[in-house]
Amino acid sequence: MKSTVAKKGGVPRLQSRHSRRLKSITSRYDLYLMLLLPIAWYLIFHYGPMYGVQIAFKDFSPAKGIIGSPWAGFAHFERFFDSYYFWRLLWNTISINLYSLLFAFPIPIILALLVNEIPNKAYSKLVQNVTYIPHFISVVVMVGMITLFFSTNGGPINTFIEALGGKPIRFLDSAEAFKPIFIGSNIWQSMGWQSIIYIAAISGVNPQLYEAAKIDGASRLQRIWHVSIPGILPVIVILLILDIGHFMNVGFEKILLMQNNLNLESSDVISTFVYTTGILKGEYSYTAAIGLFNSIINLTLLVLVNRFARKKAETSLW
Amino acid sequence: MKKRWGTALVSTFVVCSMLLSACGANKPGNEQNTNKQTSNNTQVAEDSNAVSADGFPIVNESIKLKIFTRVAPVNGPFPEMPVFQDFEKMSNIQVEFIETPTDGFPEKKSLLFASNELPDALYRSNITPLEQIRYGTGGQLIPLQDLIEGYAPNLKQLMETYPEIRSAITTPEGNIYAIPGIVSVGSARTDKKWMNKAWLDKLELEVPETTDELYEVLKAFRDNDPNGNGKQDELPMTSRGGLAIVNTLGGSFGLDFQLGYNINLEDDKVNIWMGSERNKELLMYLNKLYSEQLLDQDLFIQTEAQYLAKQGSGNTGYFFDQTNNPMLETKVNDQYIGISPVAGPHGDRLQLAAPVPRDLGAFAITSVNKYPEATMRWIDFFFGDEGSTMLRFGREGEHYEMKDGIPYYLDSFLATGDQGKITPYAGGGAPHLISENVSSYINPPQVQEAQKALDPYMPKIRYQTPMFDEQTAQKINVLRNDIDKYYEEQSTKFIAGTLSFDKWEEFQSTLKKMNIDELQQLYQDAYDNIVKKN
Amino acid sequence: MDDKIFNTVVNTLAALILVVVLYPLIFIVSASFSDPALVLNGEVLLWPKQITLDAYRNVLQNDQIWNGYLNSIIYAVVGTIINLIMTTLAAYPLSRPDVPGRGIFMFIITLTMFFGGGLIPTYLLVKNLGMVNTMWALIVPGAIATYNLIVMRTYFQTSIPWEIQEAALIDGSSNWRLLTSIILPLSKPIMAVMVLFYAVGHWNSYFSALIYLGDKDLYPLQLVLREILMISQSDAVDGGNVGLESKVLLAESIKYVVIIVSSLPVLIMYPFVQKHFVKGVMIGSIKG
Repeated sequence: MKSTVAKKGGVPRLQSRHSRRLKSITSRYDLYLMLLLPIAWYLIFHYGPMYGVQIAFKDFSPAKGIIGSPWAGFAHFERFFDSYYFWRLLWNTISINLYSLLFAFPIPIILALLVNEIPNKAYSKLVQNVTYIPHFISVVVMVGMITLFFSTNGGPINTFIEALGGKPIRFLDSAEAFKPIFIGSNIWQSMGWQSIIYIAAISGVNPQLYEAAKIDGASRLQRIWHVSIPGILPVIVILLILDIGHFMNVGFEKILLMQNNLNLESSDVISTFVYTTGILKGEYSYTAAIGLFNSIINLTLLVLVNRFARKKAETSLW
Repeated sequence: MKKRWGTALVSTFVVCSMLLSACGANKPGNEQNTNKQTSNNTQVAEDSNAVSADGFPIVNESIKLKIFTRVAPVNGPFPEMPVFQDFEKMSNIQVEFIETPTDGFPEKKSLLFASNELPDALYRSNITPLEQIRYGTGGQLIPLQDLIEGYAPNLKQLMETYPEIRSAITTPEGNIYAIPGIVSVGSARTDKKWMNKAWLDKLELEVPETTDELYEVLKAFRDNDPNGNGKQDELPMTSRGGLAIVNTLGGSFGLDFQLGYNINLEDDKVNIWMGSERNKELLMYLNKLYSEQLLDQDLFIQTEAQYLAKQGSGNTGYFFDQTNNPMLETKVNDQYIGISPVAGPHGDRLQLAAPVPRDLGAFAITSVNKYPEATMRWIDFFFGDEGSTMLRFGREGEHYEMKDGIPYYLDSFLATGDQGKITPYAGGGAPHLISENVSSYINPPQVQEAQKALDPYMPKIRYQTPMFDEQTAQKINVLRNDIDKYYEEQSTKFIAGTLSFDKWEEFQSTLKKMNIDELQQLYQDAYDNIVKKN
Repeated sequence: MDDKIFNTVVNTLAALILVVVLYPLIFIVSASFSDPALVLNGEVLLWPKQITLDAYRNVLQNDQIWNGYLNSIIYAVVGTIINLIMTTLAAYPLSRPDVPGRGIFMFIITLTMFFGGGLIPTYLLVKNLGMVNTMWALIVPGAIATYNLIVMRTYFQTSIPWEIQEAALIDGSSNWRLLTSIILPLSKPIMAVMVLFYAVGHWNSYFSALIYLGDKDLYPLQLVLREILMISQSDAVDGGNVGLESKVLLAESIKYVVIIVSSLPVLIMYPFVQKHFVKGVMIGSIKG
């Protein structure tokens, strides 16, 4: 590594990589200063409590504290893997997320594009404002509504089916119906809210690009495909990566309320299992171990997808 | 090269922060590492403030206690409850309640212990046996058995009358860490079996005495339009959501529920009957009822609110509940009477009853309490009729009146709907005695009549879950996690018909694979211990 | 021509979506005004039946609700301001392609989305910092949502051309000036989104309040509402439900009132935020 001192007034060309690096850091000191506060916050509030991760490897007893509790090694992990229900939990958790990615992920994007294309601005705003409202419905009410709407005697959906000459379907205690209803109601509830970010992103796309495409003879559909979508592609990719990074987490409160013994085949997921066996029974270590297992899978998936995205889409988390 | 450097930096970061924070981490329990034997210490804190062994006031100079309590949504603020205001004057003990809502209560309770912010006592906090053992051996909860001996005359008396109380709350080492809510009146331990008499009369049927007769009666309810509106819209039979129906009808098939689990006790032998022939007969019977639309098709998805609505609708044939309040509200109670359990195919006719020590872990004293004797006297008051009356009924003249020595709520007070606000018993779990002297509200005449139908079939003694030591408790926990879940899920499927009884052998063998025999042995050992001690 | 067909399709799809979303929403409003027993029996399909104001009266006469409203507004406003500052201070430097080490920082930050000490160590930390039972326990530990940080950073990277920034730097601008005079004005859409996300996050949150707050006077709205809701969830214990049967039924309609009461402020807020999602206004004006 050559280390030639820069000539005064001249362009430094052969400086060592280290000292060039050093210069680029120091010349941007104010950017690092900006970062100081947030990074300090992360260290204190996230890395500070990080020692709690040990709980997964110990037999935690609140009376003894985290440090004083005895080590248990991988006992809790083994207990989880040996559980009669391990594979079912794993499969349900994974499949619900896979179906969600497949069906639920694209819909807010489509909605955002749709809203963007509505010619009448007032109508467009109306659709936006109505579709995001369901996001505010609490889980308890949401499940209450699902129970009412899909109920076998007198629920609107079955009434409709009977009117068409069919026999009422027992939606609520059927294992087959669980996943579609769960994911479907998720879509209904969150598509409007999630489309907001895409709508914001679309508004950042240069209108001149649309003009140019139009001049080039592109149809509406082609304009969407070649201008809108590429314009928001980085946002899509990042959100997709983040979603995959949460792959193992499935909203447990809603499933807990919808679960019953008859649909457990489909509705038994890791998060509800953790809640009922772990938290309710005060088994911190067990809960922590399963949580850690989840996190490791999430992280692995994230790293893989991020690498893939960096190569193919040139956008990535880091 | 840049990458490796970066990863190394990050890893160092993470490890350092973990170590640093570990060093500075709060170590709860350090101050508590010796098991304070305050129970042996009958000396009082200050000699001038001796705690009286009976009578009031409890102490001459007023003392203050901080008590952590769960608050149910219907309760008003504890300091405003008449029972605590009046008792403070009587006892000379000021209580500051740390009120915690039911929402998120388990987490808050855990944090209490984990962060070592201990109150003087815990009230109505559902301290599970496992928690009792953990915090007891960890020193955060103190042993109570000697305090009970010296300072709890009411409790002592109850424990002598009902030996199953002591066995339910004493650890294998002989320590008691928490006091339960005690129910001595039979009626508060059972769900009555409410049969629609009006329909029976209309269809000229007798009260069913066997499972076969019940089947016929339910069919008649379903088909013969007893409510007379021309439609077959009657609901023949329903029950609380889930598998409560198994507990309700199990007695007709000889299935008992001892030791807090699905256990029959025969000649001192513990027999877990899950997977047995009788279990199969019960499930097949329930399946028959369900598949023929005699049992509520929404049984497994209904909420408590829906169940109560069905009780009060007047359109239900047969259901089960401790009281008759939903029926009273809608004024359909005249249509119903409480009947006895039906006899099963082998002549069994057992009635399910909750154990006398019903609400475990209702009260405990912590190691930071400076006045454990006084505290014990304080809580003991509620295990006698005077204290229990005050707790459940409030002030005489204002909330209740006495009739023949039994307190009854005043109609004017009931009309305000404030009943839940003034008493901690609303919402369940309060440590006190529920005897026949204080149950006028939950045991009105119709309910008493219904209980009479059940009395001949009540169990002689019902054992509560035994207290295991920490290791055994953990083992049982691990076994039961999978076993219980499997049993419940499969039972539901058998009843609903989505699982055929051809798979019964598979059911049995899976239970065996899950080590149900080991579980049975653990319960057997605990039971042997109980018998030995008595 | 192509436009007309396209517009028709678009408008029809939008109408369908509107119906699918609106129907249950109308149901909620109707249910909040109807007799709960009818609602439970499935007799309320679209319009209210046996109109009653009991549920509304019950909820609105509760003093704690108004106190909760005030608290929630305070927490949301203060919290969001802190959120915006902290998130921007992190997102901007990390969005610059010329900052060495940004990958490492991102990794440190993203890792926290997966691994954490859990409730107990965090609680102990908050306790040691003296924040328990104060408003700060709800705001400081949640100062940055990593998800939002990533979204903001992405926005900076993709919607604000590096050329503009480079030009300004060459012209001698400091990084700080660059941020305040150029970046921020161009970031109205993303700031609007962040305000929405963070404010709503504060508004809907209840778990931190549940854990850290003991004083009822400090309770945010959601906590108060959950208390009210819990009545309908109670189990019968020792006739613990005694005298409560009517309350249990009432609680059914209260469920619906609760959503309306708690979502109203946000529903009102959104149109104001929406104004900033105007198409490419800023980008276009720079070019000139």
